Amino acid sequence: MLLWIVLGALLGYAGARVFLGHPPAQGFRVLARREVAFLNAAADAIYPPGAGLPSGSEARVSESLDAYLEIVPPQMRRLMRLLFFLVEHATALFPAPGPRGFRRFSSLGAAQREAALDGWRTSRLFPRRLVFASLRALLTNAYVADSGVLRGLGLTPWAIDTPVCEADLLYPPIGKPPAAIRHVATTPPSDGTPLDPNAPRHPAYVGVSA
Amino acid sequence: MRVFAQYDRDVREEADVVVIGSGPCGAVVAKELACAGRRVVLLEEGPPFTPDDFVLDGARSMARTMREGGLRATRGYVMPTLQAICLGGGSLVNSAICVRPPDFVFDAWCGEFELERTTGKDLAPHFDAVEAFLGVARTPEDVQGRRNLLFRAGCDVLGIPSEPIARNVKGCRGSGECFTGCRSRAKQSMDLSYVPAAIRAGARVLTSVQVQQLHAEGSRVRGVSGQVVEPFTGRRSHRVRVDAKAVVLSAGCMATPVLLQKSGDLANRSGQVGRNLQFHPGVMVTGVFPDAVQPEFGATQSYQSLHFLREGFKLETFWAPPTALALRMPGMGAALKQRLAELPRSATWDAILSCHRSLGTVRARRGASLDPLLTWHFHPEDVKLIGRAMGVLAEIFFAAGAEKVIPGVHGLPDELHSREAARVLETRPWKGTDVTSGSTHVFCTTRMHGDPRQGVVDELGRCHDFDNLYVADTGVFPRCTSVNPMLTGMALAHRTAQSML
Repeated sequence: MLLWIVLGALLGYAGARVFLGHPPAQGFRVLARREVAFLNAAADAIYPPGAGLPSGSEARVSESLDAYLEIVPPQMRRLMRLLFFLVEHATALFPAPGPRGFRRFSSLGAAQREAALDGWRTSRLFPRRLVFASLRALLTNAYVADSGVLRGLGLTPWAIDTPVCEADLLYPPIGKPPAAIRHVATTPPSDGTPLDPNAPRHPAYVGVSA
Repeated sequence: MRVFAQYDRDVREEADVVVIGSGPCGAVVAKELACAGRRVVLLEEGPPFTPDDFVLDGARSMARTMREGGLRATRGYVMPTLQAICLGGGSLVNSAICVRPPDFVFDAWCGEFELERTTGKDLAPHFDAVEAFLGVARTPEDVQGRRNLLFRAGCDVLGIPSEPIARNVKGCRGSGECFTGCRSRAKQSMDLSYVPAAIRAGARVLTSVQVQQLHAEGSRVRGVSGQVVEPFTGRRSHRVRVDAKAVVLSAGCMATPVLLQKSGDLANRSGQVGRNLQFHPGVMVTGVFPDAVQPEFGATQSYQSLHFLREGFKLETFWAPPTALALRMPGMGAALKQRLAELPRSATWDAILSCHRSLGTVRARRGASLDPLLTWHFHPEDVKLIGRAMGVLAEIFFAAGAEKVIPGVHGLPDELHSREAARVLETRPWKGTDVTSGSTHVFCTTRMHGDPRQGVVDELGRCHDFDNLYVADTGVFPRCTSVNPMLTGMALAHRTAQSML
């Protein structure tokens, strides 16, 4: 009887962690401390420290994902957090090679983490590959969104002077009333002059590396 | 024109015509009818996006402009698909491709679906009207960028005909930002073109209104009702009711059937509402060149080959925010970082597959959500197209001088370094799950058919079961178009609007 109570309590705790949420880590709005630890570990396994581009944690992947999770629909947010939980704890079922490979993903050594994720990536089972692809897609989106990474790749967006067209006199910015429309007249439309590939880039992407 | 911040009480409107959805098809209907003097109300669930609202990061942009945060996928064969939620619909965040399908597509429609007035010749005046209004033109050479011109070069070497893509763009500067909102205001998305024209002609546009139900009596629809929804959060507030003499559903191929189902399974005597779901799954190949490609410069998608349409696929160039393109790079660890560093020397091209044998369904979920349950299965004959199309793309890359291609296929090497090595793409046995495809071209869930027992609408878009209920979106296609569908949807919508006058 006691065993069932303990099992029930554990399952309830796990379910609550995944589905009901738990306090965000300091400086985060959605992600909990353990999720941040997992994401940093996974990000550094996929984008390790070393020459060239920043590592996953240097690119502030968990911070970026925290901001992303805040704006996705709640159902999707729950699925993503379930994904993090799954990979973090699936080492119990698919242990990483080496000693104590069954520990939580974030508790493994760097080589073991990489091997564990590689197991998902190269699995013969499509659902496992899909889990890896989903996790990697989230981490990659966050990684490449970092201005330091984009600068490293030379792919930062251009600075563009946006013309004012008829529609800009009709629509206010989202959430604002029509009084917030700041334009009173249109300006000449784009004349189709090609952008100079060496022209200045968007100011938001110019600055100190992450 | 009303936006979310202006609603402070329930809304009640009367109109000659209420149009649900401001995407390419709904915007055409609203403008054409308003210009003909009809009292038009255009309802849109999303907000208008101004340049101040654009976000350059791909994932965050999609989370703001797409339903389900841009994370929608089919069941059965798991395939990501997208539906926009913004004024202008998908035209705000697509690459503006305007292609007329070849005549054999319409001949097949007419032959197989008992249609009498839907040949290429029948539709030509409607294509002409839409193209003229939008200023559709082939992408100029000076904003092609090397990424697109390499495709042409490779095709030329192999003797494969190719051409610049015609787009609804005026004054493109080659920023490659079509998918996150054109900051040059060059793309003639519906929010910049048809919707302002409709407003000028007297149409009332209510944004942030989610239509939840159609109201019908006998063979007539009386109007629609719904609620005001807050942008991004979807929180519902005031009630909205629009009574109208005619209703046009342009909510998109994935939402229109859900609305009909949620309204008491309307217009479904044929049993075809929500059935026959078809996609153009897209597959991509990335090629890495020995020297800089500078892929961020150039029109997003501006070169294509229609040479293989009869075989079942169309080839085109591609660019997306780096966050999205990086997903194509295989592997992990230091090797992945190395491949990412090769992005500036790379180009990515895609093939869209005409999968008319692969079918699925759209069903309403329980509860208040209007997000659909999508199920779709890849037919084995259509799966064979993947390898053929990817093989041709790889050949074009090597002919253009690529040093390697990255196929992104399970069970194959991450990189293929020669034409001979790439032949494996065409010779290996394929499973649909070997590759991750995605699709934004969605069709056929309220298909037209000459026989009311086999289709939801007639050739003019009017529901067989109703006198005054119309569908104007890609759901009315009886079969996929083999080419990018926006222009065809708009031409059919133009004809539907003309038929209502």
